[in-house]
Amino acid sequence: MIRKIIVLMFSLLLALALAGCGSSPTTSAPQEGKIQVVDDLGKTIVLQQPAKRIISLYSAHTENLFDLGLEQEIIGVSSKETYPPASVKKPAFDYNGDPEKILAQQPDLVLIRPFIQKSKPDFVKALENANINVVCLYPENFSRFDDYIRKLALLTGKETVAEEKLKQFHQQLDEIQQETANISPKKRVFFESTETEYRTITPDSIPANLLQLAGGINVAADAKAVSKESSIASYGVEKILARAAEIDVYIAQSGAMNAGGSPASIKIRPAFNEIKAVQENQIYNVDEKLVSSPTFRLALGAKQLARMLYPEAFDKFTQLPQQTTLSRQELAEMVVKYKHKEFFSPTSKHYNRTSGHLYGSFVDVALDHPAFNYIETAVQAGYLEGAGNKFEPDRAVTRDELSQVLFLLADLKDTATDVTIKDISLCEKPRIVELIVKNQVLTLDQQKQFNPSTTVSVQEALAALNRLQQL
Amino acid sequence: MKKIALYFLVPLLVGLLLTGCGSTATNDQAKEPPASQDKKAILVVSFGTSYPDARKACIESTENKIKDTFKDYQTRRAFTSDIIIKKLADRDKLMVDDPEQALTKLQQEGYKQVVVQPLHIIPGKEFDDLKAVVDKFAADKAFDKLVLGRPLLGYQIDSNNTKDFDVAVDALKKQLPALQEKQIVVFMGHGTEHQSNTAYQMMNDTIKQANLPAIVGTVEGSPTLDEVKASLAQLQVQDVTLMPLMLVAGDHANNDMAGDEEDSWKTQLKKEGYTVTPYLHGLGENEAIQAIFVQHTQDAIDQLNK
Repeated sequence: MIRKIIVLMFSLLLALALAGCGSSPTTSAPQEGKIQVVDDLGKTIVLQQPAKRIISLYSAHTENLFDLGLEQEIIGVSSKETYPPASVKKPAFDYNGDPEKILAQQPDLVLIRPFIQKSKPDFVKALENANINVVCLYPENFSRFDDYIRKLALLTGKETVAEEKLKQFHQQLDEIQQETANISPKKRVFFESTETEYRTITPDSIPANLLQLAGGINVAADAKAVSKESSIASYGVEKILARAAEIDVYIAQSGAMNAGGSPASIKIRPAFNEIKAVQENQIYNVDEKLVSSPTFRLALGAKQLARMLYPEAFDKFTQLPQQTTLSRQELAEMVVKYKHKEFFSPTSKHYNRTSGHLYGSFVDVALDHPAFNYIETAVQAGYLEGAGNKFEPDRAVTRDELSQVLFLLADLKDTATDVTIKDISLCEKPRIVELIVKNQVLTLDQQKQFNPSTTVSVQEALAALNRLQQL
Repeated sequence: MKKIALYFLVPLLVGLLLTGCGSTATNDQAKEPPASQDKKAILVVSFGTSYPDARKACIESTENKIKDTFKDYQTRRAFTSDIIIKKLADRDKLMVDDPEQALTKLQQEGYKQVVVQPLHIIPGKEFDDLKAVVDKFAADKAFDKLVLGRPLLGYQIDSNNTKDFDVAVDALKKQLPALQEKQIVVFMGHGTEHQSNTAYQMMNDTIKQANLPAIVGTVEGSPTLDEVKASLAQLQVQDVTLMPLMLVAGDHANNDMAGDEEDSWKTQLKKEGYTVTPYLHGLGENEAIQAIFVQHTQDAIDQLNK
């Protein structure tokens, strides 16, 4: 009953506010209220209290709301969610569908982005006519990211969390920037945003900023936006080929919205073999979710770009004392760096799978676990595996376990040499241990024992990886 | 202002160009005999692929074999995958018809005899869909003669005729590496819930009779990877070469078969301790397989002329 009254009062206030803004939303004075936010369409939204029943129709909004700790308050999401894993389980709403479905949920805040306003104005109008607070946000430029997060926080009463998150976010970016600042010469990069017409990104777009942070020089910095406010820029094959000798690294965005080519398809495009990056096999895909979507995972995207550009600096495994016993989370980091494997980022297809490990489902590896991305990436690539819903990140790695991981990292072949391993019957995968020993990746002790259950040190594991690389 | 002019000009030019193409096409047809009993076409139908190199090596190569063999026929292409057709149009500006569009064009251009030759492996759902389209054109009497050829393993499984399987296994021999003891080839087929999935078991039986060191499994049907693993354990092999039993080495071959992914066949078999070598070439690259599709086209033509 009370809620109903509040909703009614709210609607009344909002109606007044809207009536006020009607003709020229930017200049009119909003009604008094506890929370006032001007959205990206210039509309002033007034809330009496932080939103408690939120529907987000854009995946980046959803991801950020989750990061601000609003899992309870989110009552609906878009149909294209992929992160965090909990977002996929929320009720999904579609702006191509019936607005009544949203109205029936009585949300006190519906978050959209300009694209929705532009493509489905009637849908948005229907919500607004029912006195729903519709807030339209989207930071086209990297410099507007903080402001965007602060608006989300203001609407939901999460200002303190937001400041903390922003601080961490900028710290992570600063660390990457500091590391790349001293690298010379810098790698020159072409960033392909769409495979259609080989478009790139505008110089002030989010990916262009990350690229710069990651120490890359954008060879297409002169590119012009395809349309006003778009982060996609025209470029085309002639211009790319005109700079063929300058392109050290070719990075193509992958994803559902705007996707460039796969390394395999880029390699075989007519005349693309003139490009230095193609000749040197420096072609990569990076998930648009990590470099284009305005979320805190941009820090991960920046790190990913830095790893692609400067693997010798960013895929170095040195932070631990060499004598330390190797734990499973350290092994995960070690193998991802060894293989220069791109950080795994889930797609909607991933959540449809019926077997294998589901992203984020290890109960002992939370999303904010420091090794989360290394562990998920290593497991999704099949190099390591969990035991049921546990990964056991702190457990020490045995020689038996290490031999299996090493075997997966390389394509070892049988050799003509014969070896006798006295304790082979104690090994979980005797054939793998045999091949690892035959190829001298790990060696036996004086008594010709493999000692499968003995733990390994960081130093031993690094030495084994070195030998693997030299095979 | 100039920009705006460009926006108008470009579509105009493209439009002109396209009409230009249109008329060349008609010119080409003008070289053909006039509409008569003699105006004949072969429509080669495959699933399609968005990998340009694989398209060239596996699909175009087979299409060209058919084209070169049946010179008095006009050879056309159709893909059955709408997603791939759309992707090629958007990305590469490469326009490919689906079977219905291709047959409609042939009808409009006055072709009288049409052979539809699929490049599919088994007569599964894709083939059923194609058959439905062909049946529709037959019912509409769109052509004087219209016939659908059979896929690679096209003989009905319930008949006693296993000739297609023998011939296919002979062709596969051409791409087997020199194998030693404890080495084997595992073919990865697509697999389906459709009843035609039994073709894969038939292949296994035929391979066994031929005494070849190979087995067949599927991604989406049976034999499953678990069944493949059980067979490998029984055969006591140590080294596996993975080959796609698919026309094209595309997504399935690159990811499901050979990818660095936890559930790829390569990873799953390596976890069991097998040394694994993936072979990333589709059946369409095998000239003996191309020859089978040529023969199936010939069989269809024979049927047409009965």
